[in-house]
Amino acid sequence: MEKLSTSETAIPKSPQWRYQAPSAYWDEAVRPSGMPRHHWRKLAVAVGRMGAEELTRRWQAGQHLIQAHGITYNVYGDSQGMERPWSLDPIPLVIDGAEWAQLERAISQRATLLNQVLADLYGGQQLIQRRQFPAALLFASPHFLRPCYGVQPPGGVFLHSYAADLARSEDGQWWVISDRTQAPSGIGYALENRLVSARTLPSAFDQCHVRPLNRFLDQTREALLHLAPNRRTNPRVVLLTAGPNNETYFEQSFLARHWGFPLVEGADLTVRDHRVFLKTLSGLEPVDMVLRRMDDAFCDPLELRGDSLLGVPGFTQAVRCGHVAVANALGTGLMETSAHMAFLRGLCKHVLGEDLQLPSVATWWCGDEGPRRYVIEHLEELVIKPAFPQPGKNPLFPSFMDAAARQDLIRRIQADPEQFVAQEQVALSTAPVRTAEGITPRHIVMRIFATWDGHSYNVMPGGLTRVSKEASSPVVSMQMGGGSKDTWVLGSAGEEAPAAALTAIKISRAAGNSPPRVELPSRVADHLFWLGRYSERVESGVRLVRALLPGLSSEEDFGQTVSLESALQLLSGLGYLPEDFAPSSIAQKRWQLNQVLSAMISDPSRGSSIGRNLQNLRRVAWPLKERLSQDTWRVVQQLDRDFSIAPSLRGELRLTAQMSLLDRVVVVLSAFSGLLGENTTRSHGWRFLEIGRRLERCWQTADLLLAALVHGPFDIEPAATALLSIADSSITYRARYFTEFRTEYVLEALLADESNPRSIGFQLASLVEHMSGLPGYHPTAFHPTAFQATAFQATAFEGTAFTAPPDPTEADAPLPLRLAERILGDLRRSSMDDLAERDAQGNLAVLESFLRRLEGSLHDLSELLTAHHFNHLMVARMSAVP
Amino acid sequence: MLYQATHTTLYTYDQPVSHCLSEARLTPRALPRQRVLRTRIDVHPEPAVFDQRQDYFGNQVSAFSVFRAHDRLTATGTSIVEVLPWQQPVFPAIAWEQAQQALSAHLDADLMAAYEFVFDSPFVAASAGLAEYARPSFGAGRNLAEAVQELSHRIHEEFRYKPKSTSIEVPLHDVLRRREGVCQDFAHVMIGALRSWHLAARYVSGYLRSGADVTGAEASHAWVSVLIPGYGWLDLDPTNDMIPSDGHITVAWGRDYGDVTPVKGITLGGGGQKVDVEVRVTPVTAE
Repeated sequence: MEKLSTSETAIPKSPQWRYQAPSAYWDEAVRPSGMPRHHWRKLAVAVGRMGAEELTRRWQAGQHLIQAHGITYNVYGDSQGMERPWSLDPIPLVIDGAEWAQLERAISQRATLLNQVLADLYGGQQLIQRRQFPAALLFASPHFLRPCYGVQPPGGVFLHSYAADLARSEDGQWWVISDRTQAPSGIGYALENRLVSARTLPSAFDQCHVRPLNRFLDQTREALLHLAPNRRTNPRVVLLTAGPNNETYFEQSFLARHWGFPLVEGADLTVRDHRVFLKTLSGLEPVDMVLRRMDDAFCDPLELRGDSLLGVPGFTQAVRCGHVAVANALGTGLMETSAHMAFLRGLCKHVLGEDLQLPSVATWWCGDEGPRRYVIEHLEELVIKPAFPQPGKNPLFPSFMDAAARQDLIRRIQADPEQFVAQEQVALSTAPVRTAEGITPRHIVMRIFATWDGHSYNVMPGGLTRVSKEASSPVVSMQMGGGSKDTWVLGSAGEEAPAAALTAIKISRAAGNSPPRVELPSRVADHLFWLGRYSERVESGVRLVRALLPGLSSEEDFGQTVSLESALQLLSGLGYLPEDFAPSSIAQKRWQLNQVLSAMISDPSRGSSIGRNLQNLRRVAWPLKERLSQDTWRVVQQLDRDFSIAPSLRGELRLTAQMSLLDRVVVVLSAFSGLLGENTTRSHGWRFLEIGRRLERCWQTADLLLAALVHGPFDIEPAATALLSIADSSITYRARYFTEFRTEYVLEALLADESNPRSIGFQLASLVEHMSGLPGYHPTAFHPTAFQATAFQATAFEGTAFTAPPDPTEADAPLPLRLAERILGDLRRSSMDDLAERDAQGNLAVLESFLRRLEGSLHDLSELLTAHHFNHLMVARMSAVP
Repeated sequence: MLYQATHTTLYTYDQPVSHCLSEARLTPRALPRQRVLRTRIDVHPEPAVFDQRQDYFGNQVSAFSVFRAHDRLTATGTSIVEVLPWQQPVFPAIAWEQAQQALSAHLDADLMAAYEFVFDSPFVAASAGLAEYARPSFGAGRNLAEAVQELSHRIHEEFRYKPKSTSIEVPLHDVLRRREGVCQDFAHVMIGALRSWHLAARYVSGYLRSGADVTGAEASHAWVSVLIPGYGWLDLDPTNDMIPSDGHITVAWGRDYGDVTPVKGITLGGGGQKVDVEVRVTPVTAE
């Protein structure tokens, strides 16, 4: 019982802690009298003293921190930027230490029980023989993965991690409302919530002696390493994700970073000789343990789910052979049915010889006759759920149905009884939440996590509390737009210093246990290459538009600026003007230029417009999210936001608006380049980014030279002025050649001069330099006949290794590098005077053929790089025939 | 009868496949009436990894991976099999309702094992339409063996055999509506109908001795097995309206086609593909 104390009476007098909870539900913070519960008092005092304004200010600071950390949650079916910022209430849920100890024991017991039940159902099936678990529930379940039957995971641990959702009814009793046994999510969000909440309410956090979370994460990592087969000293663990569109991708990349495990997609892994390998730029690296955040049925398109190509073909066999471990074991989705809850009490007695410590919400499985009759008789009091959860199958609330719909439901239950489960509705407890209207009650559900620590299930001293969106809504779901709360489990003063605990998270992030080798998957290198290319395309587009803009305002050629005439000339050379364009008046010309420039900025139908390239940039940056620094990622988001609010103005005004947008883009883009340069380690990944960028700039510059000089007028001055201005090389040029415009000088500056960062020569020299730094090819690498002997040093590039097996007699340099060297050599051997030679018709035919050849070689180089380093082969299914 | 059965699957690809992982179920099962004297699987190009295991249903699975670039792949199963004729028994006098109850009580090991085949599987789910289709054969108290033979006979009479009319992607209800298909569709319809009456039925894949009198010998064949409590599993071939005897070679069984696909796999690369299948079953004389 909670005792009244003198300090309790002081709190309600504080005007800001005006919190009234509805009496129909249990409230976590206050008793029916309105007095704060004993374990909430310190927090209530702190929040009360703070006042509403200060609380709001801190909440905003917290939300800001969330954005800075890039904490997001993907909402399915939300095409407009799927990412939603994580929503965290500043007031945590406080749980008393003694009550927590009970929950801890109960959750540990439940995890142990579910693990044993899984071991039995995928093994001896004694529970079926003894009728402790209905055979029909096993046989009818689409989550019973028959290929996994008989596969024993290391140490018999099917569940490495487990989570339970708990709700508290009006009498104060906690109930388990769902079990998460596949790949429970939420630990990462809970950790981020803690980082933010401890900063939001630092003094209350200190006073409450909140139990820290970091040790749990370290233990979880340790235990994972111990589950790896073969007992290697330094097992390689990867975190398998379904990709950036997955709802909890943020958390997956967060945990991968925290634990130092590479975050991989199915296509990053390959199975050879029943072993799993990570395809990296430097070859195939063996994988010992797969921590999966992908539903088990998707993990192997060969043996498991036949309609998806997401996973790793041959994975099940590799697991079966014991060469790789997977957590949680394949097939553990079987315990995510709600139907099993109807049997857990009996199972616990039978399997563990104990009473179930924490009840499940009352559940009836309609596959059994007695319960089915009860359900049909009490339909209106129950929630009807699919026995085997599947996307698109939602809970039904018969109390909201009309008589006909209810009759229809009864018919469906009778026709397919195994498919239905009924549960009692728990009246969810409420907790105080900060809203615009003040501190108001919202319903909550608390998720608790447990992981196997080598001996037993260890429960995280905290949790992820989710909050309903509306006061009246009993539905709690992040998908539905609810929020979350940190969960403070109260410890005693002596236990652990909370301040140390908070910083310890950062220390363990930086130091880890052993600095992990994180290789670059070839898929990631591919994305980085294209990130470099798209960012350069955007930049060159912006430069072009900005350089031509003065053409709109000046009729005359004022010194160094670009005239209307030369702007149109150049655009025509670049293919931006209609073929039949023959303007008569200056007004027409100006109108035309205006049109073209607008389209170049944001016409979505134009593949080369800046807006389109920004979209592409974001598309390739998205899967790289966990590799880009948070600042860099914010810049990508900023660019995307700027352009998604496309100016809808017309005419001159529209262009003015677009111009200010362009100015912003230039600033943001240089920030982007700077951040990439400063915050990306000089790894292979960074080289691929640079290679993409240099290759693209080379291409863009060659295009410009073709348009301005080859297709330009005989008098090169206006064209050359425009060209130098776009290439940001006017000052360099004038310093060297003053105001004399000669083709060979322009070529010297923009083609040959390897010291000008905008010249083609500079790009080619950089390309050669970066490509020499890439991992080479072992002469014995992946030759089919040598496979058996050298399988485990094999290179990653399945496609090309076969079509072009490395020949030990060939020069050591790989093909792309040799081509790049050849292109650079060609340029160095060319004389600019020769290239500037005009033929009898006055055309720059030599230059044209040189530039065309260069573009052809650049195209080949891009293809060769792709074929050599990136795995572009499509995975396909062999058609099955009768 | 003693047979040599050869089952060849040839994949031809538009573009080279850099590697493939595959599973074949091409080895006939050993059964009381069926003895496998010799059996082998040949894959070209030579697989880098080849191994055998038994699947959940006891079928022999050959798993192989080819890591050599190829634009053709053949997998051939060759077996010498002896099959004894089926002897007409006196069927137990059990009504279908009793069988239904026995299954749902599943009091012995055989019934427990059979019970699994009452439930929906990925390709064959019970439905009101299928239940309705089977209804005329399931009069109250009717003998189960009689009822299932009549159901097989009716499918043979009422469905048109149309080679290449379906692929495995055609849903069962479309087959039922169109009343046409190939042997695997006939088997799926019959299994679905039996499951809709809560009876246990499994899908059998195998081969048929060639001859003018049978349908479906040119490719691998499929039929149905129904549990008759007190007797065991009774095979029924709705495509040929017969009870399989020494002209049927059993290769594998499962809940539906998906459990026993003769050859399946995943390739890296390949583009478009063409598949050719040839099955030859020829009687041989004992040496």
